[in-house]
Formats: sequence, C-alpha cells, structure tokens
Amino acid sequence: MTVSSRWVAVLLSLLAPSCKKPVNPGDPLPGLTAEQLARFTRGKEVFDSVFTPHTGLGPLFNSTSCGECHEDPVVGGTGDEVEVHATAFKNGMCDPLVQEGGPVIQLHTTPALKKALGIDREPFPPSANGRASRTTPVVFARGLMDLVPDSAILAYADSEDRNHDGVHGRPNRSVDGRIGRFGRKAFVPTLAEFNAGAFVAEMGITNPVQPTEENIGGKPIPPGVDSTADPEINQEELDVTDDFVRFLAAPTPTKLDRNGRRGRDLFSKIGCTGCHFPTLRTGASPILALDRHEFAAYTDLLLHDMGQDLADICLGQAGPADFRTEPLIGLRAIQHFLHDGRAATVDQAIELHGGEASGARDRFKALAAEDRAAVVAFLKSL
Amino acid sequence: MLRAVLLIPFLMSTPIRHRLQAPTPTQPATSYTYVGTVHAVNAQTGTLDLITGVGMSLRLVHMTAGPAVRTSSPASGLRIADVKPGDVVRVECRRTSAPPGLVVNRIEKIEAPAR
Repeated sequence: MTVSSRWVAVLLSLLAPSCKKPVNPGDPLPGLTAEQLARFTRGKEVFDSVFTPHTGLGPLFNSTSCGECHEDPVVGGTGDEVEVHATAFKNGMCDPLVQEGGPVIQLHTTPALKKALGIDREPFPPSANGRASRTTPVVFARGLMDLVPDSAILAYADSEDRNHDGVHGRPNRSVDGRIGRFGRKAFVPTLAEFNAGAFVAEMGITNPVQPTEENIGGKPIPPGVDSTADPEINQEELDVTDDFVRFLAAPTPTKLDRNGRRGRDLFSKIGCTGCHFPTLRTGASPILALDRHEFAAYTDLLLHDMGQDLADICLGQAGPADFRTEPLIGLRAIQHFLHDGRAATVDQAIELHGGEASGARDRFKALAAEDRAAVVAFLKSL
Repeated sequence: MLRAVLLIPFLMSTPIRHRLQAPTPTQPATSYTYVGTVHAVNAQTGTLDLITGVGMSLRLVHMTAGPAVRTSSPASGLRIADVKPGDVVRVECRRTSAPPGLVVNRIEKIEAPAR
C-alpha cells in the first residue's frame, strides 16, 4: 500500500461511522445473512396474516393478526388497541386466575362461541381484585433484549437499595422461577415463549409450544365451537414469526441538535438513567447480528415500585404497583404513554411517575421550561 | 443449551410429547415432568394444582399425589404436605388411563435457575 492510499484508507475509516445507514423502524438488524433475512421476510408475512375461525382464530381473541395491533408506523410498531388484564392479589401473593380464564381478558369471540354461549367477550373473572389496561408496545429490538444475560439483570438489581438512591430494582420471576424480562410486569423470560403464548392469548391460535386453547371463564369450550385441529399453526410458522420479531432492529435515534444533547445530559443528571439504563449488551449468540451487541435500551429490565396511583394488577412476584422499566426504544412512534396509555404527552408521562421514580420526577418538574423541553426533545429522538 | 433444557418441561408437559412418543404395550407408562408454581394443595385429599404455561398463556394442571409423596418423604423429594401455594416446584408424574389421571411420583422445590 502506498502512503497516499494508506491516507485514503484512514480517511474512509474515519468517515465510515457518519456514513452508516440509519436503521428505520421496522428494519431488520444490520448484518443478517441472506438466509436470516429470508426468515425475517417469511415471518413478517405470518405476523401480518389475518386469521379467521376457519384457520384457527378464537374462539376467544383480542385481534385477528399480530400486525393488526403492532402496525404503527410499520409492522412491529405500536397500535391503538387497549387490552384488559386481571389478577387477584391476596395476602401478598398473586393469583393469575388461570381457573377463571387467565390474566388476559379477550375482548372478542367468534360467531360460533357467541352463538353457543351468548357472549361477545370473555367474562371478567369474578375473583379479580385488580384490573389493568394495556396498550400495544413496539416490538423493536426484542431479540436484543432477549439476549441480555440474566447475570447482567441480576447485577443491576438493588432490592435493598444499598446505594441509598431510593431506587431498588428487582427481577420478576416466571411461574417456573426463571428471571422474567418481557411484558409490562417482566413476567416472561424469553421472546420465544412470549410469542408462542401471545398467539394463543391474543388470537386463540394454538401452536406446538402451547397446543391448548384457554378455557372460557373457567369452563371448557362448548363442543363444535372450535373445530380447527390443534396446533393451529405449525412449528415452522411459529419459528419464522419468532425470527421476524427477533430480527427487528432498534431504530436509529434521530440526530440530536444542541438542545437535544442538553436534554440527554439532563435526563441522566436528574436521575432518569437510574432505571432507564441507556445501554444494554447482549451475550453470546450464534447469530452474529445479535452477538455481544450493545444497544440503546433505556431499561434495566427490572421491576420498580411506581406508586399507588399507577398500581393495577399483580403478576408473578410483581405487586400491583411494580412495573418493569419501560424500554424507550422507538419512543418517537408512541402516541399514548405509560402502560395503560393514560398520558397524552411525554411530559405528562414523566409527571405521572411515582414511587421509586418520585425523585427523578420531582427534579424534572423543578427544571426550567426550556430544560424540560430539551429532555422531551431528547426522548422524542429515540 | 441451558435454555433448551429449561424449555423441556414445557414441551414435555404438552400432548405433543404424548403423540410423538406414544407408548407401545412393551414400553413403561409415559412420565411427565412439570415445572410451575403451586396454586393450591390439599395434603388430606392429596391433590395439587400447579400453574404452568407459556408466556402469558397460563394453564392449571390438576394432579393427585401417589403413595410415595403422601405418607413419607421419598429418597430426595418432598411430601405433598411440605409444599404450599407460591412454591416453585418440579413434579414428576405419570398418567393413568382411569381417574385420577395425573399421579405425582416425586416433588422437589427448585431454586430459580439463571441462564
């Protein structure tokens, strides 16, 4: 290599990061192989396909396709549907009310079930003492979140608040005791399980991992109402759907101007990053695009007490006031904020934080108007 | 690898396993392993309800204690009277063709595994 060509190479390597193509919402992870991209594409088709009673929909369901809810601004994004969940919290223990139909209340029935039982939604469990509304989250970067090692999540936990910052995150556990990370209460340990469970809980689509339908408020499905043979999708369809979600990238934040950069600094300075950790790192993976990859997550995947004003249901070891720190990936696509969509703006969402987040909330409220606007500008870049 | 091991209980707890490994007359009865949270237990009637599931799709599995877990502590397992609601347990059982259905052979509490 000549001296001049060496200088050209150095110059190109310096320019490369700034020329990096931005990842848009809905894009696959950069660096996937052709085979992985093909699976992403096939999975997107299943994710966006509309099920009917003839192809397995129901008899209870919230939606006819994954993409019906996860649609805005692209497939895999958010949506305006709001679900109802219910559990019972008694004597410090959580009952997910499986004997009464489970924690997800399906809001629609197939015509056959309506004809048989005269209902047009799942009955609300009579034993419930907690009711929750749940908005549709974006599912970008969930494959990356799936690969954050449990050891990292445990390392972030501080249930005894040893550092006396008022924040004491702790992991949730699934029914079989594993560390959870998915869902607003961090109840589900892996992406594959979340997806397989969602097919059944949200659409009534049985699959090889969860091959049985939910009961109808604790009672069996009437004969003849669900004549599609189980499982209603096969392993390949489940696997490619899982890969579509797994391979959805974290969108590149929009470029920050000086004001946005100041907002990013303030976000850290007032203590928001005590829970909304800016970056997480994946563990080892045979998929190079996911392997030991640092990504902007803005979560610690832990539960925090958010105060009684936000409390709704329990789930696993999460009490009614405990919520997983919401990842802020793709926040610019969100129209309604917090787990139930009660906040119309980012400012309102911050002001509604309570419990362990009270300190950060109060410091945000004490900022000058232009500083608050800077924090919001930063968040809207994500 | 560990994740694959952890998923085995889910796969083993489903009818798919039964279909894939339908016993022949010369094979022993199919055994099942469930891992889940104890929902209800009645030591007197010897019944155990376990919450299992996949993601947010949860199921309740009803079982009846076999002799080994009713009256005495098996080699390294627990009696049914030793478990309480909220415990996370691994339960080995077998299915009988006539009632009571799932019969528990062994119960053990499990520590939360990490991956």
